[in-house]
Amino acid sequence: MAGSIAAFEKLYRLHAARVHGLCLRMTAHRETAEDCTQEAFVQAWRNLPRFEVRSSFGTWLHRIAVNAVLAQKRRRAEQLGAAGSAEDEVADTFADLTVTDPGAHRDLEAAIAGLPAGARHVLVLAGIYGYSQAEVAAMLGIAVGTCKAQLHRARHLLGARMSLDEERT
Amino acid sequence: MTHKPPQDAGDRLDDALRALPPAVEPGHDLWPQIESRPGRPDPARAGGTGRDRWLWQAAAAILLVVASSLITATFIRRDTGTPVAVAPTAPTAGVHAVPVAFGPTHVLSPEYDSARRQLSALLEQRIGRMPASARQKLEDNLAELRHAADAINSALAEQPGDPLLEELLLNTYQEELSVLAAANQLSVAGGSSSSSDSSRVQL
Repeated sequence: MAGSIAAFEKLYRLHAARVHGLCLRMTAHRETAEDCTQEAFVQAWRNLPRFEVRSSFGTWLHRIAVNAVLAQKRRRAEQLGAAGSAEDEVADTFADLTVTDPGAHRDLEAAIAGLPAGARHVLVLAGIYGYSQAEVAAMLGIAVGTCKAQLHRARHLLGARMSLDEERT
Repeated sequence: MTHKPPQDAGDRLDDALRALPPAVEPGHDLWPQIESRPGRPDPARAGGTGRDRWLWQAAAAILLVVASSLITATFIRRDTGTPVAVAPTAPTAGVHAVPVAFGPTHVLSPEYDSARRQLSALLEQRIGRMPASARQKLEDNLAELRHAADAINSALAEQPGDPLLEELLLNTYQEELSVLAAANQLSVAGGSSSSSDSSRVQL
């Protein structure tokens, strides 16, 4: 078992930052992102027999991480008793968002964090992590048409927000 | 009516999104919490079959080799711009095609075997043109992949027909082909990519 733990730790070291980056951008909340990252790796370990090695291990991990984020979101909505508004829930923790670069990327990261959750999820997966719309739709459990609409909405909101920021400066 | 941003603004946005680093380190090391989570597999169970242990090790080894190969490929690509002394170095054992197996019950396709032999032979001819350090890394990577394949084959002998093992073995062989194909392409500065189609052969 010691070998298994060591091997798994190697995989964790290889993938943790990327999985955490995805969780952080999807949740826009540092502590939640860390919880989801942990959950993703625990689930990955638990579900190793289901890993189909034809696909990339990183992609498989990302799918698990997305599931962890969505599950966390559902739990939060249940706790708040506001499931109806969960889809359009706007990240309320701008100040808590860990940005990757306090300089050039800060405005963009903050603008992404300010998107409604549904639009943000699609934009993060397609725009930053390069998944196709079909892949994103499958990961999020939504129709491809919905994915396209959310991506359009996200890009529109983000474009407007970034233009506004440029005008202010 | 919605305002549609001009195309160049959309392109700029896409570029900016792609420029964001996908990896963001957590604020602290999460590994201790993951390791101690009660949800992780029971050590006794995992140790019982032994499959998880080597499966993770093999997966980790393959990932490391692929990552290392990418680094090596970059290194070789950078070096091909400068003159490299062609030493009449005898090819080392790491480049030679070695017999491959697929557990006790399966046979690899002749197409795969042929592609692999051709790529190995080509690389044997060209490896002398590579910088010594890149050559060493390439040989190490190939040896690592073949070691992983041996380990998986051993496990397959114990658990014949295990679909996970078979998939992982196929993946390992494909990675080996990819490394051979990439090395062949990169070892010829500005050369033709005769082997690119061989990197994904139906096994």
